Amino acid sequence: MARKPECIAMLLAGGQGSRLGILTKNIAKPAVPYGGKYRIIDFPLSNCVNSGIYTVGVLTQYQPLELNDYIGNGEPWDLDRANGGVHILSPYQQIKGTEWYKGTANAIYQNINFIERYDPEYVLILSGDHIYKMDYAKMLDYHKEKNADCTIAMLEVPWEEASRFGLMIVNEDGSISEFEEKPKNPRSNKASMGVYIFNWKKLHKYLVEDEAKEDSGNDFGHDVIPAMHSNGERMFAYQFDGYWKDVGTINSLWDANLDLLNPNVDLDLDDDSWKIYSKSPAAPPHFAGAQAQIENSMINEGCEICGNIDFSVLFANVTVEEGANVKYSIVMPGTTVKKGATVQYSIVAENAVIEEGAVVGSSPEDMDNIDDWGVAVIGHGVTIGKGAVVPPKAMIDEDMGGKE
Amino acid sequence: MAVNNVLGIIFSNASDEAVPELTSLRTMGSVPFAGRYRLIDFPLSNMVNAGITKVGVITNSNYRSLMDHIGNGNSWDLARKRDGLTLLPPFSAPTAGIFSGKAEALYGSIGFISDSGKDYVLLADCNIISDLNYEEMLKFAVRKNADMVIATANGLPPHLPNIMQYVADENDKITEAKYIDYFSQAVDHSLRVMLVKRTLLERLLHEANAKRIPDIEELIVRNVGNINIYCYRHEGYVRVIESISSYYEASLDLLNADVRKALFDPERPVYTKTGDRTPAIYGISAKATNSLVADGCKIEGEVENCILFRGVKIGKGAKVRNSIIMQDTVIGDNATIDCIIADKDVTVRKGKNLCGAPNYPVYIGKGIVI
Repeated sequence: MARKPECIAMLLAGGQGSRLGILTKNIAKPAVPYGGKYRIIDFPLSNCVNSGIYTVGVLTQYQPLELNDYIGNGEPWDLDRANGGVHILSPYQQIKGTEWYKGTANAIYQNINFIERYDPEYVLILSGDHIYKMDYAKMLDYHKEKNADCTIAMLEVPWEEASRFGLMIVNEDGSISEFEEKPKNPRSNKASMGVYIFNWKKLHKYLVEDEAKEDSGNDFGHDVIPAMHSNGERMFAYQFDGYWKDVGTINSLWDANLDLLNPNVDLDLDDDSWKIYSKSPAAPPHFAGAQAQIENSMINEGCEICGNIDFSVLFANVTVEEGANVKYSIVMPGTTVKKGATVQYSIVAENAVIEEGAVVGSSPEDMDNIDDWGVAVIGHGVTIGKGAVVPPKAMIDEDMGGKE
Repeated sequence: MAVNNVLGIIFSNASDEAVPELTSLRTMGSVPFAGRYRLIDFPLSNMVNAGITKVGVITNSNYRSLMDHIGNGNSWDLARKRDGLTLLPPFSAPTAGIFSGKAEALYGSIGFISDSGKDYVLLADCNIISDLNYEEMLKFAVRKNADMVIATANGLPPHLPNIMQYVADENDKITEAKYIDYFSQAVDHSLRVMLVKRTLLERLLHEANAKRIPDIEELIVRNVGNINIYCYRHEGYVRVIESISSYYEASLDLLNADVRKALFDPERPVYTKTGDRTPAIYGISAKATNSLVADGCKIEGEVENCILFRGVKIGKGAKVRNSIIMQDTVIGDNATIDCIIADKDVTVRKGKNLCGAPNYPVYIGKGIVI
């Protein structure tokens, strides 16, 4: 019998991320590209292996093709293990019928058999929605030290934003006295990060009980954790200090990318002791042409840059022709920005073409009314015609003709 | 013939002596090239892109960096149960340990060659950079029903030992093979890529062993009349690394868009070991022009006409021109560098000034601090 893992991770990756609009039309949110070469799911997966957790179940549901393809056998994250490794867990047909994952807790409930095969002491529940570097091993140590049944990772958010989060009121010993879900007048600024460690036996019991309740939403935050709390189980909060960002909206995705260009932001992806792994394309180094002007930017392999780049993140194989300007923008793999075109304050998805002289997005300073401003988004494979103008905040999902 | 009926053999140490600076601590195959590759990536990817699934890499000495680079072959999709990648270190019997010529090296691995059961064997070196397409070469061999096909290019022959000139008839059949004595005249010279029927190769190797012939070229000279040898004329891009200055020129050649297009065809990618580094980061007041920049670089100074490998750091106010800077080398603030080849992990301290000449680049060894 192979060595039994102490803790396994279950990664909830089935979400659509509907607030990302056309960026998640064909892919699940965890597969959304980030940071020039990564996808969001690289962060929890890399955190797992860096924390010594080598058994990970990835629960998929919405548009799983690209995500499944990306994860493959898990080799980029060292998760191609003979014992453990990464497993894609999709909803499946059962004798009593077929059921989608009804909620986060139900998704785990439907995979009790998977967890039982490994028979771990502890189960770590993660989501595929956040950018952060976290040592789950330290959280597990805390969980054991407190002799807890459930430990919830939390971080202190600015008070003015606290009402957007699920909050916890925490006693001096770290135990949780109360939960508040997005309250109007927050009494705490300690927000849940959606990272939980459970004693598996305890969680198993509560999952079964929760499933039996007809009125339950089968959700961790709304149902399972409150039930455990009201039954007096030992619930603790684990404080996390560091960069953590939900990239659930266009603006937060844009912000989180540009954070990488800010030396004052505490997110170092170049840290050898805590690498973020990803599947790399086979492309040569990027080429900066004789006319190129590149400042304050991140440029990945395979790019050919002859234009001007400022405060931008360019993914692999992006071409920026002479005289084109890309600023304050995120440009995903394979996109071409042709001569004299401008892309500013925008997110351009994969394999798009911005034809000569087109202008995408605009600077907030150029707006008469700042409320009309927002990041412009160009969808996958879309062509923006010669000289066309894409206004700020627009989401362009179909080819747009030029001015001819 | 199905292409997976070909065994690929790469000589990782061939022509090591041509660039002693770069190969003192490594094989020719593990010499860094083009910002994120090692030279072996080119023949190896070329073989994989031609559909070859079994490759042996012959090593002779200093092959630790090569082992580290190729690992189990998964970067080239060669980590397989059936076929896959095999490292072939010197075999102590029947010849003794380290070998002197290719025929000897192959004889040391003759068991591997026979056991492969493949119809053809494709032999290639690492120091000849070209867009030669092995798949086309295989098709040519089948069309000609050749016993052996040798890839050639027309031009000034490289200054390497045992470079052969071939004379072929109008059907591309080689009628004469001779060693080159005059290097100032354009001829059809070999590219050190050869496709040969496995059974014929085995016979030739036994002959070489019996007659104590260390080099494969000598075997060709002796047998040119007896076997069907064809010449496959390559008319695309070729650069031969025959000295440190040719390494420098071949590197800077990559700044030419046509050369990049020839070597990095997206349909036939060049695979390499991944480094899991971040994309390159440009700081405020960074300036990079006409340069190839790999991932993990951090640029805060000025870079012009350079190849920057992974993880290179260019400090504020530094000026780096016409140089090849290898992995993890750090150029300090306000340093000035021109016509330099800096090996891995070099540190050029703040404000230092280093200058070579375009026809004589200065080489700085691995790990040196200036």
